Amino acid sequence: MTQSTGPGDAVAAVIEATALTKVYPGDVTALDGLTAAFAPGVTGLIGANGAGKSTLIKILLGLVTPTKGMAKVLGHDCVSDGERIRQVVGYMPEHDCLPPDVSATEFVTHMGRMTGLPATAARERAAESLRHVGLHEERYRQIGTYSTGMKQRVKLAQALVGDPRLLLLDEPTNGLDPAGRNAMLELIERIGTEFGISIVVASHLLGEIERICDHLVAIEGGRLLRADTIDSFTKASQLLVIEVEEGLAALREELTRRGLRPTAYQRSLLVPIGGDATYDTVRDSVADLGLPLSRMEQRRHRVEELFRDSDITGSDITGSDITGSDITGTGSTDADTTAEAADAR
Amino acid sequence: MPAESVIHDLGYRRYDGPRLGRGQIVRALAWHSFRAAFGFGRGAKAKIVPAIALIALCLPAVINAFAMAKGDARQFTYDTYVPALRVLIMTIFVAVQAPELVSRDLRSRVLPLYFARPIETIDYPLAKYVAFSGACLVMMEVPLLLLYGGAIANVHGGAAVWSQTRALIPGLLLGLMWALVLAAISLFLASLTGRRAFATGAVAIFLLLTWTLSMILLQAESAPIGARAGPGGASLGPASPLPGPSLAEKVSGLFSPFTLFDGVRQWLGGLNLGTNGGDQVPDPGAFGVVYAVVLLALLALCLAGLTARYRRARNS
Repeated sequence: MTQSTGPGDAVAAVIEATALTKVYPGDVTALDGLTAAFAPGVTGLIGANGAGKSTLIKILLGLVTPTKGMAKVLGHDCVSDGERIRQVVGYMPEHDCLPPDVSATEFVTHMGRMTGLPATAARERAAESLRHVGLHEERYRQIGTYSTGMKQRVKLAQALVGDPRLLLLDEPTNGLDPAGRNAMLELIERIGTEFGISIVVASHLLGEIERICDHLVAIEGGRLLRADTIDSFTKASQLLVIEVEEGLAALREELTRRGLRPTAYQRSLLVPIGGDATYDTVRDSVADLGLPLSRMEQRRHRVEELFRDSDITGSDITGSDITGSDITGTGSTDADTTAEAADAR
Repeated sequence: MPAESVIHDLGYRRYDGPRLGRGQIVRALAWHSFRAAFGFGRGAKAKIVPAIALIALCLPAVINAFAMAKGDARQFTYDTYVPALRVLIMTIFVAVQAPELVSRDLRSRVLPLYFARPIETIDYPLAKYVAFSGACLVMMEVPLLLLYGGAIANVHGGAAVWSQTRALIPGLLLGLMWALVLAAISLFLASLTGRRAFATGAVAIFLLLTWTLSMILLQAESAPIGARAGPGGASLGPASPLPGPSLAEKVSGLFSPFTLFDGVRQWLGGLNLGTNGGDQVPDPGAFGVVYAVVLLALLALCLAGLTARYRRARNS
């Protein structure tokens, strides 16, 4: 199973987990025999909240000892060699982790020192990291005055300051508005492709990170659901979400007339995407009717939908990637509602 | 929203310079925290309390230097200095500054970032403890060194200087004892909460309340002895003209770090100057070993609590 991550076969995996199990006191099973390999490049770690993503990250950093099984990061054992791993791995936690009363420069410099950089190098690399994440003059201001987007960038900069070989990013787009999310994702993609740093992006929103990932590893209930290249995950049909401030019914008629198959969903329309022409048709329809368009974007999937897709395209998942047959299809009827709820966050 | 802010296209440069080991990182953290204990690396406001506290503690030493210059004898001893001032100012200092070192990081939830660095979990509390002990030591010893400086500037002859030096050394060691214990207590209490006001309150209340308790008990227990030492004292016979403190009185001194310090000081052979001369507790005599044991137990308990606190924080 470890060799089932597609193109990663030829290259040594950056992360290998073998039968990884973590049971917390009180019989809470966070990971349940997880076996997966992460190839170099940008890998999405997909799972609903509570699927075991954060526990996996903590084990990989050598902060939590697995109950059973083993994990290796960049060839180092997570239990016995945690210190070596933490020297070459940058970690961006999900939650807020910034002191409000120091400047970004001071904070990232200090974190660089804590990664093992000498004082001068820490200052230089802090300035460079902050520049890479797009913080300029404002980096001398106290972090407490920053917007959420800027704070996320500082969190990324502190992970980057020690020149890591691998970045573990836990929900890096949390709390950001759509523009902020896009900017953050572009930044991550750039770090992955141009800086040559392998990245694991943990997220519960597949649709959000799929476009920047080379590979995906999906986990649920502490087990591997699927690990594959991005293409095999997302070939299932894509949806376009259209929201107009008024005239929803008229737009629906118009789109149907033009040969699309819109379905109403709450106060928006969902249209299956059949190529670039779909976008043009929608644009023209909205323009012809003179409607105030408030949103048009590709639909975000959630992990539940991934399972549903797996059901539909059952043939791709019969391989060794799947740990069991009991994990698919559950709860997918609510996927739309929950997906929207997650989007609204 | 810097959504579309431009990223300068200077490319990414790898770092291939030296990387420091765990020990050096811990040292850097300790130094950073030591500076923070005096408000360095923070805003001007953060320096107010440490500065005032240090000045307040040094004032008697400066006054002493002037007094000695006019020909008076040295005003304060090196081992007790000015007891009530020390209790008060050190309480304020640790209550305000210990949260600065630990509660802040809890509040901003920055700890996971430390744990994700190439150090071990125990290194964080260790660095904080070393740093804060050092800061408390500065608060304790600088006034003594000023006192010493003022004294040797005004005495003549090698013998006099030597006698001052010999008197100073126990004072410095006692300062170390204060620093090690106060830092452990205050960091442990402050590490229990991320709310600075609560942390400060917890430390201040613990130190002042226990001290008050010990003082009240001591007073209550010493009253009958005082009466006995008066007119009734003569009837006790020539074998014991000055009755020692009762067991209850000795036990009363065990309830506060400050009275423990004083008991240990006297047990180690410090001057017994009587309650007016700087003693907080009556000479415990052989019972002093209990003072030392209780003090060590308190220190061990606080350090164990502090490390346990961070082991728990890492796993959560």
